[in-house]
Amino acid sequence: MSASIVPQLVLKDFRLHRSIILVFALVVLLSAGLVSFLIGRIPDWVALNLGFILLLGPAATCGIVLLMKSNVFEKEKSTQAFIMSLPVTVREFTKAKLLLNLPVFGLFWLAVSAAGFYFAFGRGLFPLGAVPFVTMVFLGVLLSYTCILSTSLVSQSLGLTVLSIALFEMVTSAYLWTIAYLEGTRRYIWGSQIVWTPMFLAIVAAQILAAAGVIAITLHLQNRKRDFI
Amino acid sequence: MDLPLAVQCEGITKRYKHFTLQNVDLSFEQGTVMGLVGPNGAGKSTIMRMVMGLIGPDSGSVKVLGHAMPKDQIAAKRHIGFVAEDMRLYEGETIAFHMDFIRSIFDTWDGDYAKVLLRRLDLNENQKVKGLSHGQRVKATLLLALARRPGLLVFDEPTTGLDPVVRREVLDEMMNALADETRSVLFSSHNTLDVEQISDYITFIYGGRVVESLNKEEFIDGWRRLRLVNPNNAPLPALANIRDVQQSGQIVTVTVTGYDDSLPAVFSQAGMTVTAVERLTLEEIFLSIVLFAKANAKMELAA
Repeated sequence: MSASIVPQLVLKDFRLHRSIILVFALVVLLSAGLVSFLIGRIPDWVALNLGFILLLGPAATCGIVLLMKSNVFEKEKSTQAFIMSLPVTVREFTKAKLLLNLPVFGLFWLAVSAAGFYFAFGRGLFPLGAVPFVTMVFLGVLLSYTCILSTSLVSQSLGLTVLSIALFEMVTSAYLWTIAYLEGTRRYIWGSQIVWTPMFLAIVAAQILAAAGVIAITLHLQNRKRDFI
Repeated sequence: MDLPLAVQCEGITKRYKHFTLQNVDLSFEQGTVMGLVGPNGAGKSTIMRMVMGLIGPDSGSVKVLGHAMPKDQIAAKRHIGFVAEDMRLYEGETIAFHMDFIRSIFDTWDGDYAKVLLRRLDLNENQKVKGLSHGQRVKATLLLALARRPGLLVFDEPTTGLDPVVRREVLDEMMNALADETRSVLFSSHNTLDVEQISDYITFIYGGRVVESLNKEEFIDGWRRLRLVNPNNAPLPALANIRDVQQSGQIVTVTVTGYDDSLPAVFSQAGMTVTAVERLTLEEIFLSIVLFAKANAKMELAA
């Protein structure tokens, strides 16, 4: 008997939710195809906005739906008592949820980021000077998702999870406006060279560290829980 | 070497906003069945959840099969099968999905026994959980707990809400599981008939406290109802073990605990005639205990 049943829990959740993941993956692929088709046929700024919505929308929705179904509904529908009757601790339960949700969203995020970079720079919608800005945008989305996932895991509350979605959507919008108005952004975004100013590097590093920190804090908080049903 | 106790709770306390589990001691040996009886809200599920490591006590300690809970819950839960009335399976999946999942976790999973249980419990492994009735869901959960052949079975009100036929099937299967003499069971219910059928020991819990905890035979043997005729309306002897008195004219019915054969003489000496000494069912004992505890609680509150 293996020491930990985390792999079995991850596999179980993947089997439970694979059709949702598949549907959203198809939507992202179709969106990418549509954006690719439209570039050159519609104004660049329309293609840019449309691409952002069509690619990021399904990826983010998949992430949210998955964390709701695999975590919040686990408690709401009382299947959590069944899972917690197995040889597993709260920390391992949380690890399993992280190991399902993070890689799935991570893959969507990587695919959408790659498509975004391709369309923005490979198809010439943006000059190369915008690379740091676009990087910060995508990392901001990843950090927001991590915070929502953490809220959902720690609270297991539908209300608080929905509240965190609304909150981080607003925070992300405010963040986008803030980085768009940074001195470095305004100076280099339309340039043909990629310039990583110390401010850009600091923001990128802070985003990556914050995402990792949120996950560590989530595990720590879950580990301290004494009551889990 | 001595086997560790199946369950050993010592002085466990848990405070909630509107309920407190107070200083509960509950222990029983491996190979025995402990029935936990109490009305709704008495604290049975809180104890069950502590035994499963799902909630931690504010004070006191819980050991299951020698493992401290909730600290060593992984090691302990490898040997526990848990069935709770409010436990649910994944609605969109089949019983077979759940069997595969449990099989992937427990190398003690007995596939042949699972097939036998499917047949005996009249379940179709290819049926989705959402199409099952409440009784079938309980039976499916029972199958998943039994087929992994655990050393300890923890049943939290498994028969609640079941029709008589399904209740019988579930109880029969629980009895079959007890054929293995090393297997222990902790079984909670507010249905005293169920507990009476399968338990070796009984613990009554009321208002977050253990009221009584004894061997079943001793327990039932200790309670009697005495029917008396009291022609002169003499005062009843002041006995500490009287739990209930009902009077209708000269006819008095007294319920006592800690009965011994010398007790009728005490009433005779007080000028009464003992017309009958009757045994009580577990349900009647349960009601007496709860009503007595309620009356005491009211008196404590008034004081």
